[in-house]
Amino acid sequence: MKKIILLSLAITTSILLHAQNGVPITSVKVSGIPARDAKSDIWNNAQVSVIPVMPQNVTNPQLLKASVANVKVKSINDGNKIAFLIEWTDSTRDATVDVDKFSDQVALQLPLNPDTVPNFMMGQKKGRVHIIHWKAVWQDDIEKGFQDVKTAHPNYWADIYYFQEKNADGTTTAAKDATVDQFKSKEAKNYMAGAYAGNPMSIFDRKEPVEETLAEGYGTLTTQEKQDATAWGVWENNTWKVIIVRSLVSTDPLDAPLVKNTQICFAVWNGTFKNVGAKKHYSMWNDLIIAK
Amino acid sequence: MAQVKNWHLNREMKYPYADNRPKKQIAYIFDTNKCIACQTCTVACKTTWTSGKGQEYMFWNNVETKPYGSYPTQWDVNLLKQLDGQEWDKTTGTYKGKTIFEAAEKGENVKGWHPTDRDYAYPNLGEDECSGNVNKGAFFSGIHDVWMFYLARICNHCTYPGCVAACPRKAIYKRPEDGIVLIDESRCRGYKECVKACPYKKTFFNEVTRISEKCIGCYPLIEKGEQPRCVQTCIGKIRMQGFLSKPEEARADNPIDQIVHIKKVALPLYPQYGTEPNVYYIPPVHVPKEFLHQLFGPGVDKAIETYKNIKNDKDLLGAFLLFGNTPKITHSYKTDGEFTMGFDEKGEVTTKVPLTEPVFVRPFKNETTGANHHNIP
Repeated sequence: MKKIILLSLAITTSILLHAQNGVPITSVKVSGIPARDAKSDIWNNAQVSVIPVMPQNVTNPQLLKASVANVKVKSINDGNKIAFLIEWTDSTRDATVDVDKFSDQVALQLPLNPDTVPNFMMGQKKGRVHIIHWKAVWQDDIEKGFQDVKTAHPNYWADIYYFQEKNADGTTTAAKDATVDQFKSKEAKNYMAGAYAGNPMSIFDRKEPVEETLAEGYGTLTTQEKQDATAWGVWENNTWKVIIVRSLVSTDPLDAPLVKNTQICFAVWNGTFKNVGAKKHYSMWNDLIIAK
Repeated sequence: MAQVKNWHLNREMKYPYADNRPKKQIAYIFDTNKCIACQTCTVACKTTWTSGKGQEYMFWNNVETKPYGSYPTQWDVNLLKQLDGQEWDKTTGTYKGKTIFEAAEKGENVKGWHPTDRDYAYPNLGEDECSGNVNKGAFFSGIHDVWMFYLARICNHCTYPGCVAACPRKAIYKRPEDGIVLIDESRCRGYKECVKACPYKKTFFNEVTRISEKCIGCYPLIEKGEQPRCVQTCIGKIRMQGFLSKPEEARADNPIDQIVHIKKVALPLYPQYGTEPNVYYIPPVHVPKEFLHQLFGPGVDKAIETYKNIKNDKDLLGAFLLFGNTPKITHSYKTDGEFTMGFDEKGEVTTKVPLTEPVFVRPFKNETTGANHHNIP
């Protein structure tokens, strides 16, 4: 009996330790980072770490059923930038903006203080985390042009927008064909409250499909003032491959330091299953070993 | 979950946040018996607030024809059929069923229904359709065989809003100064939890700004002491906006309190949802009671009885005659002799309305000019 208890304790301890360190990811040193090329041979230098993800079941609203089991992560660095190639199986490419549609997304999370790693679920008070978040819809905004009402509803109609600007040649585009590029005046913003308020969701000319944020617990996600991460995703063969790149040594005090080994988490959203916000798949902390 | 008191249900209920009623609570009274669905309110709201890009489909104010009208499609039926029971103890006026907060599924704060784009595609669905076919040869003999009525709808600026309960970012808040419920447009990240959670479907996702928007109670007007656009422009004078006191603090000289708390002639829409909505409706007098009980709760019969007897109740009549007669918010009123007078917060007169319209009889023949006055067909 005593042996069984000891054995159970040993197994439990081993699981706990394993959970704390997760699956280690080693960022190998390479020369040159293929920031938008997931098929580059350079990625073959890195080993794949398979990180299990679970449906978020800690705080409401929860994700009750998982549709993604794991993310496969590779990391490389060139001494200046660090890149992560995150890959997961998703049989549908979701990037439509609509009242009941949701985008595929992925995010990685790093602690601002690697010595006292905070709660894996978006950190905690006095335990901030740096989150870099990619969305498929932002990728389409850049690749295909801003995903407007007309993208989801090609036959939509609008009679007039009072604040629509004239084209450079003095002509006016029909309201139904007007794009957000023609709505850049200060007055037009009065009619688009999100843009007027400077909401980071209401950016019409996004340069990168990624956002850098800070968090210190649930519901605290805050966009960083300085945005310098880049990302690029490609979906083929029922798989998303997303590359996220950031500086290895950042001058931004709100970026998580990567001067030494640290911890890293991942989150994945599957748009088909209405994953959004807290309804996501998460991983625990994993060791991030940065080879220099 | 906290326990809060919901006076519409005459009981306590579960809500994610503790009771924290605002200093003043914006409230509206809509008289369904007077609405002709001219949609002037809808257009006033649309041109004022939702003519922007991404707002094409939005109607913060809409008027739908009951029983079949609904925008978004079957917004009420889709949720009602998910709430089992909805029984009331009619003697005590206590709700025995579950609210949207109590019926929430595991992992959710609110029981909701998420509309699709198609559900927003038919804002005039069922317009002017009555409850059944009119039989050949039917004629009006005092009571119609079939019925319909117009239900004007805006955000209810609920005391316990479903949208506030559902937002994981706390981006929606209820203003302490007037109880208006607002979405912080700089904080919202477009998760659409509020779109699913609002039982009245009065939060909307903007596809261009990619965040949610809702009726703002025309707060810039409220702050100036004026009633919202939809109220001011109502040509049928079916609407009044003011502030509703807590039930135990009801003032007889506050027209909203007089109608809602004291005479109980205006009732909340779907009180069983549990959000304690603050738009109060005078139920239509000609509609089957079973339908009205589901819409407005157990107070319907008494409300209609009181409403029909309004000519004998000068206090109530005086409150009703303030509707549509001033752009200002009436904080108190006095029915004196043949007039009812409304006053603003400082006690200054906002309107003076006769209880009985004076009648002038014009003689058929004008003796001065010799002209005959008659109606021209």
